[in-house]
Amino acid sequence: MNLFQFLIRIQFSKYCLPRNRACFCGALLICLLYVDTEAWADGQYEIVTYPGVSEKTLSVNSLRSIFSMHLKTWSDGTKIRVFVLPDDDHLHQSVSKEKLNVFPYQLRSTWDRLVFSGTGQAPIKVNSSEEMLNKVASTPGAIGYLWRANINENVNVLQIK
Amino acid sequence: MCSRLSNYLIGSFRRITKQLALLFLIGSFSVQAQEINQTQKKPASIKPPAQWLQTSELPAEASESDNVKKKPGLINTAVNWFRTTDLPGDLQIHGFASQAYITTSDNDVFGNSNKGGSFGLTEAGLNASVRPLPRLLVSAQVLSRRAGVGNTGMPRLDYGFIDYRVYSHEANQFGIRVGRLKNPFGFYNDTRDVAFTRPGILLPQSIYFDRTRNLGLSSDSVQLYSDIAHSSLGSISTQFGVALPVVDDRDTAYSFLGSAGAELKGRLVREVSYIGRGIYESNDKRIRLAISGSWVNIGYNPGGINDFGPGSIQFSPIYFSAQYNAERWSLTSEYALRHFVYDNNFATNSASKNLQNLSSFLSPNDFYGESFYFQGEYRFTPKFEGILRYDVLFTDRNDRDGKEYKAKADNHFGQFAPPAHSRFAKDITVGLRWNVTPQFMLRAEYHHVNGTAWLSTLDNVSGSTHQHWDLFAIQGSYRF
Repeated sequence: MNLFQFLIRIQFSKYCLPRNRACFCGALLICLLYVDTEAWADGQYEIVTYPGVSEKTLSVNSLRSIFSMHLKTWSDGTKIRVFVLPDDDHLHQSVSKEKLNVFPYQLRSTWDRLVFSGTGQAPIKVNSSEEMLNKVASTPGAIGYLWRANINENVNVLQIK
Repeated sequence: MCSRLSNYLIGSFRRITKQLALLFLIGSFSVQAQEINQTQKKPASIKPPAQWLQTSELPAEASESDNVKKKPGLINTAVNWFRTTDLPGDLQIHGFASQAYITTSDNDVFGNSNKGGSFGLTEAGLNASVRPLPRLLVSAQVLSRRAGVGNTGMPRLDYGFIDYRVYSHEANQFGIRVGRLKNPFGFYNDTRDVAFTRPGILLPQSIYFDRTRNLGLSSDSVQLYSDIAHSSLGSISTQFGVALPVVDDRDTAYSFLGSAGAELKGRLVREVSYIGRGIYESNDKRIRLAISGSWVNIGYNPGGINDFGPGSIQFSPIYFSAQYNAERWSLTSEYALRHFVYDNNFATNSASKNLQNLSSFLSPNDFYGESFYFQGEYRFTPKFEGILRYDVLFTDRNDRDGKEYKAKADNHFGQFAPPAHSRFAKDITVGLRWNVTPQFMLRAEYHHVNGTAWLSTLDNVSGSTHQHWDLFAIQGSYRF
C-alpha cells in the first residue's frame, strides 16, 4: 500500500505540480483521505496474543517474520505459536494483504516450502473466530488475529509499529 | 489384436485396482485415527456442501467435485483431529500422495507411456516435526516414489535432521542443521516431490532432472543458515552446507557414465561436496531472486580388472533464479550452467574392446551444460490456474545440436552410437491446475518436446528414441 501511495504521489507531482499548485494540494488531500480510510479499515481487526506474552508492541518486520514462520521465539525465549484462519477467509486475506503486505497464496507457498523441506512448521489452522479467540486465550505464546467485535479481555491486543 | 487389447485392459484394470487399494488403505488409516479420538470435539471445519460449492459454477463440475469431496471426508476428519488436539512438543504430521497418468506419442516417461499411457508416476510422503525446545526443531520425511525403472516406490528417508536456532534477534536468525537435508538449489528443489508446491506435473526438466534426482535431492550434510530481514529493503536467506551426495542408484551411474553404467562392476562413491544458496525477497514477496551453486565430487571405485580405472567426476552447477509475483500472475525464470569434469583416470586395462571404447570416449572430458526456462502462471480464480512454459536444455553448450557428439560417438560405437538429439531438449508446456479443495488438487498438462536429453536412459534404449514427441499427463494429488 505504501508503494501504491508513493506512486500516486509521484504521478501527481510529476503531472500536476508544474501546472498548478491547487491540483497538487488536491492530490495530497486525496492521499491523506486515502491514508485515513485505510487506517479506518485497519481498525476493524487487531493482532492478538496470549495474555502471558510480554510483548506489547511489535514491528511490521517482526510480525511478517512471525507469520512467515521464520521467527520462532518471543524476546523472552518462549515459543511463538501462530494461529491462522483458512486461506479463503476474509479476515485472513485482510490481515495478509493489509498488515503483512503479502498475498495469501504467497504465505501458503512459504509455509509449504518449510513443511515439506522440514526446515519449519506450519501455523496452526483454526476454522472460526470463536476458535481463534479460545486458542489464543489458552495457548502459551499464541499469536493470531481477530475482528474487533470478537476481542475480549482474555487476549492481549498487540500494537504494530 | 483382440487378445492384445484385452491384455492391456486387464493390465490397466489391475493397476487401477492397486491405486484404489492404496486409497482405501489411506482411508482406513484415517478412520482409525478418527475412532481413537471419538470423544474429541466434533469437526467444526467441515463446511456445508452448498457453501463449499459456491465457486463451482458449472453443474457438471459441481456434481463431480461433490464425489471427490466425499472421499477425503474421512481424511479431513483425521486431519482435523491433528489440528484440534494438543500434541506434545508441538508435534506436526503432514503428508501427501499423488498419482499421475502419463501418455506419450513416442519415448517412455515413467513407465511404458507410449503404448496407451501408464500410471507409472506415484509419489507419497509422510513427515513429522517436533519442537522439544523453543530453539530446537527435529524433522524427518519418508518418501515413496514409483517412476519408471529407476524408482521402484521403495520408501526411503528423504530428509531427517535437527535444526538448532543459535541466534535470534527480532527478524534476524542464524542456525545450524545436521543430518540428511534437502539440497538447497533453485526455487523448487527443496519440495520437488510435493505436487502442490510444483509448477506443473513435471518440473522443468532442464534444471530439475528427474533422472539424477537422488543426487540432486538430498545429501547427508551439515548446513549453516541465516535469515536477515530489513524493514524496507527486504530479506535475504542463505544456506551453506558441506555434504556427502547420495549416488548409490542406477540412474545416476547411467547419467554420469553413459551406457557403461550397465556393464561396469564398480560403483560410484561419494566424496565431500559443497552446496549453497542465497535468496533475496522483497518484503511484499513480489520479487524473489536466488543464486545457488554446488561443487559435487563423485569418485569411481573399480569392481575388478575388467573395469574402468578409479576415476573421479566433478560436477559444479550454478543456478540463477528470478520470480515476479502479482496477485493474479507470476513470472519465473531460472538459468543453470553445469560444469562437468571427468579426469583421465577412467582409462581401463581391460582387454574388452567395448570398455576401452567407452573409457576413451568418456575421459578426459570437460564441458559445460546449459539450461533455462521461462514460465508464466495465471490464477484465473483461486481455484483455477494456468501455466505456460518454455524449457531448454543443452547437455554441452558448445555442441548445442549434438552433431560433434554424434561424430565422436560414431567413431567409437558405430551403429550403436546415441543420436544427436539425445544432447538437447526444448520443451513447450501448457497446463491447467484445479484446486478442488485446499487439500485436493487436479492437474492436466501437455508437452511438446524436441530432443531427448532429459529422458531417462534406463527407461529408453537410446538408439530407438524419437526426436519430436508429445506428452500428455493428468494428476490428482492429496495433502494434509
